[in-house]
Amino acid sequence: MLTLVALASLLVLAAVPEPSQAIVIYTGWERHALVGTEVRLSCSFFSWRWISEDVTFSWTYRPDGARDSISIFHYTGGMAYVDNKGPFRDRLEFVGNPGRRDGSILLKNLEFSDNGTFTCDAKNPPDIGGRPSSVRLLVFEKVPIQAGVITGSIVGAVLGLLLLIVVIYYLMRFLVARRVFSLSVSKHGKKKKEGSQQRQGPAPAADPAKPKASEKKKQESRKERK
Amino acid sequence: MFVLCQAESEISVRDSQPAIKRAAIMLILLAAIFALHIIGIILLLVATIDNAWWVTETLSTDVWARWIYINGMWNYTDLPTGSHYPQDYLQAVQASSVLACIFSILGIFVFVAQLFTLNKGQRFTISGVFQALACLSIMIAASIYTDRFHLDESIGSYGHCYILAWISFALTFISAVIYFVLRKKTA
Repeated sequence: MLTLVALASLLVLAAVPEPSQAIVIYTGWERHALVGTEVRLSCSFFSWRWISEDVTFSWTYRPDGARDSISIFHYTGGMAYVDNKGPFRDRLEFVGNPGRRDGSILLKNLEFSDNGTFTCDAKNPPDIGGRPSSVRLLVFEKVPIQAGVITGSIVGAVLGLLLLIVVIYYLMRFLVARRVFSLSVSKHGKKKKEGSQQRQGPAPAADPAKPKASEKKKQESRKERK
Repeated sequence: MFVLCQAESEISVRDSQPAIKRAAIMLILLAAIFALHIIGIILLLVATIDNAWWVTETLSTDVWARWIYINGMWNYTDLPTGSHYPQDYLQAVQASSVLACIFSILGIFVFVAQLFTLNKGQRFTISGVFQALACLSIMIAASIYTDRFHLDESIGSYGHCYILAWISFALTFISAVIYFVLRKKTA
């Protein structure tokens, strides 16, 4: 019985179709950078297979307004090959880690002519089907203020300040109330103790007086009877 | 005995009439203040949301975007960026007018909540404070706009949103003053 179940499960597992072989590549959507600085273009991928030794990365560049793209970087067989004759000679550096599925490159000393679209294509044999992903590079002279950043920060700061004031106000009220409560409790305790001491004082004086009074009454009653 | 009862009932009626009158006046006052506050909120919202702080015959522009009349149709375009249209002051105007709306709306909620919860002496302080803050914010927004934009343009005039901003400044100011005065009277 058990062997039958084991055989059946093996058959089922073997019959499960393998997932699609497409490799999925991720880069950013847009990168903004200042002229003269450097920018890191990241590229990573997801694949159903283990990383093979023949994993390859390649970057191509298409300037804004141009129709053709040129190859600028290729990584294969464990070696990174950087373009030494194109517009990026001596400015391109490989900073990725293929073992961790990272194929990022670093662009240094940016110029205005570097505006364009960079496409990353990764292959992980036998997983080679997939769509290359592109990132758009925008080079600025001065970093522009993004829409709504100042607005949002002013509104957030003022409302946060208001909230803080309200919280502090209620905290102070709570603390002051607690202090007043503890003070009144201690006063009550002192008064009670004083009151009990006073009652004990006159009581012993009254007790010896009482037997004397009763004795007097008894003597009077005996006299009256006589 | 009967005469005494009649006299007592007459006295009680005479005492209750001023009390009813006072309650009615209080109610009317509260309704009027509520209406004033709501009108202030509506004007603030219109001034903030609608794009008409500066208008010409073919242009209607504001803190959020710009409407341009081209070929018989109004087109919605972005505001220009440049030295004559400073982005940071524009965003400050946006933030202040939004804050004014938020403060006013918070004030009306606090007012309604306070009617049911607080003791007499503290009834209108917080809503008065919120209205005063809203007044301050919309004044800041309108002042920055007046000082920094459309300084050299001769064509065109201030649109209805700009005017509504100043009117709502006046209304929120009056509202705040009334809240503070009433606080004294019902204490």
